[in-house]
Amino acid sequence: MMQFKLFFRKEMLEMGRSYKWLWVPLVFLMLGVMQPVMTRFMPEILKSAGNMPKGMTITIAPPSGAEVLAQTLGQYSSIGILILVLSVMTMISGERQSGVSQMIFAKPVSYVSYAAAKWASMLSLVTASFALGYGGAWYYTVQIIGAVEAGAVVKAGLFYLLWLWFAGALTLLVSSLLDPAPGIAFVSLGAALLLSMASGWLPRYTVYSPGSLPQISAQWLEPAGEAKGAVGAALLCLACIFIFFAAAVYRIKLRYSKG
Amino acid sequence: MTRELLQVKGLSKRFKDREVVKGISFSIAEGSCAALIGPNGAGKTTTIRMLAGLLQPSGGSVVLLAEGRPVADPRPYIGYLPQMPVFYPWMTGAEFLLYSGELAGLTRREATRETGKWLDAVGLRDAGKRRIGGYSGGMKQRLGLAQALIHRPRLLILDEPVSALDPAGRKDVLTLLQRIRLETTVLFSTHVLHDAEEICDEILMMREGEIVLQGSLDHLRRTYSEPVIRLEVGGDEVSRAWLAAAGGKDFVVQSEISGGRAKLRVADVERAALELMADAVSRRVTIRTLEAGQSTLEDLFLKAVRS
Repeated sequence: MMQFKLFFRKEMLEMGRSYKWLWVPLVFLMLGVMQPVMTRFMPEILKSAGNMPKGMTITIAPPSGAEVLAQTLGQYSSIGILILVLSVMTMISGERQSGVSQMIFAKPVSYVSYAAAKWASMLSLVTASFALGYGGAWYYTVQIIGAVEAGAVVKAGLFYLLWLWFAGALTLLVSSLLDPAPGIAFVSLGAALLLSMASGWLPRYTVYSPGSLPQISAQWLEPAGEAKGAVGAALLCLACIFIFFAAAVYRIKLRYSKG
Repeated sequence: MTRELLQVKGLSKRFKDREVVKGISFSIAEGSCAALIGPNGAGKTTTIRMLAGLLQPSGGSVVLLAEGRPVADPRPYIGYLPQMPVFYPWMTGAEFLLYSGELAGLTRREATRETGKWLDAVGLRDAGKRRIGGYSGGMKQRLGLAQALIHRPRLLILDEPVSALDPAGRKDVLTLLQRIRLETTVLFSTHVLHDAEEICDEILMMREGEIVLQGSLDHLRRTYSEPVIRLEVGGDEVSRAWLAAAGGKDFVVQSEISGGRAKLRVADVERAALELMADAVSRRVTIRTLEAGQSTLEDLFLKAVRS
């Protein structure tokens, strides 16, 4: 426990000094706020674009607040995941490659605390960034588009957060397996993308897949939304995060210990 | 102080189909300073990494004894400095020492005290407040020593501690080591024999994954040194020709001749010196130097490595 605190403090300090605590939340906030603002001002933006034929009129049905929030989540599914993967991908592989971890593991330290601190700091970064961005999106949606039912927003947000946790945990696992950073980014992004696409193509086989979490959270936001398989998917996702953690601990141990 | 601290038995390491360390055995006594010498690729780093617990041996055992009893986890008793120490460039030297002290099990207060002490000891008192990213190679090596020693280990294991340093940095580290070895048992690897002679009393010579020679420095000097005559003659034709022929005399066991210099291993150094001089005078050869003495460890090292 003592060592976990030390490792965790070090991870937090590192994320602070490398400005991750600044730019990741900022990007998430920007992504979140952009969607309602863009939607609200879309007619004006189109008008001022200037290359429209004369006399053309565009009528855009004003979307509901819930729809705008669902679109925001769509933004996080692409750029949000990319930022997340890029910001945590070298957390384990970087220390292994540079050789710092040699000095760390020659000391009487526990591999579980080491990995747990990585996981905990990744989860804090993701949670804080998403909470800030999603909160911003919610605030602006209510201000300029229309009210949304709070229960649905919170539920959708929690399920989406679970999906981001999954993506982060997956990235850390790959980081413990592979050395080159581009390889880590490619594998984790590819796997996350495949999972979420698979639940679009084969909904029958992927009811409980973590990849269906983004859809589930969008469903919560639909009027009278009821998401199928939500609890199952959430539980399976948490189980996956735990398995990824255990696998990474095993992997780190295998590389260094007398095991 | 002849209690054993580390016992290594039949230690081996195999990477795929290549055996890098081939079942070596040795022991290190408490309070001694041992050098693991060998050419590049002899398996020194692999051995060191197994001793530090960073690499799982393919066979054999490494046992560390504390108060005469074997310990289950040797890591609290070992300080380790890798070949090219890498730190977190965004940390300051003091922060890193504090961090490694606490990781090794010191309380916050102890770690703070030891950090100040070791920063002074390795001459980084002012630099300790700066980020490690801006440190020179020598400073990193000294910081590496401090982090290895902060928890007062019984055995300090260093992998090529001075090989990558310039002469000044090297002298700093060697001076430090000389002080440290008074309090701690030290094992370090090097391919520079001179460094080993300067601070060590035990030698382990490795070649191609095997220990080819081991023993105390004095013992090795006594047992393996051979009578040698070093000769240097003038640059004229006659002298050169005479020197080239000198290698063929009956008392010469082995000869190395290059240009105007020769190193002759002989059976009886007194007789050889007399005969050589008499011969040289009679043929009007100009001798610049003639030294009758013993072969150095360097010669022994080269012989062990090449044979």
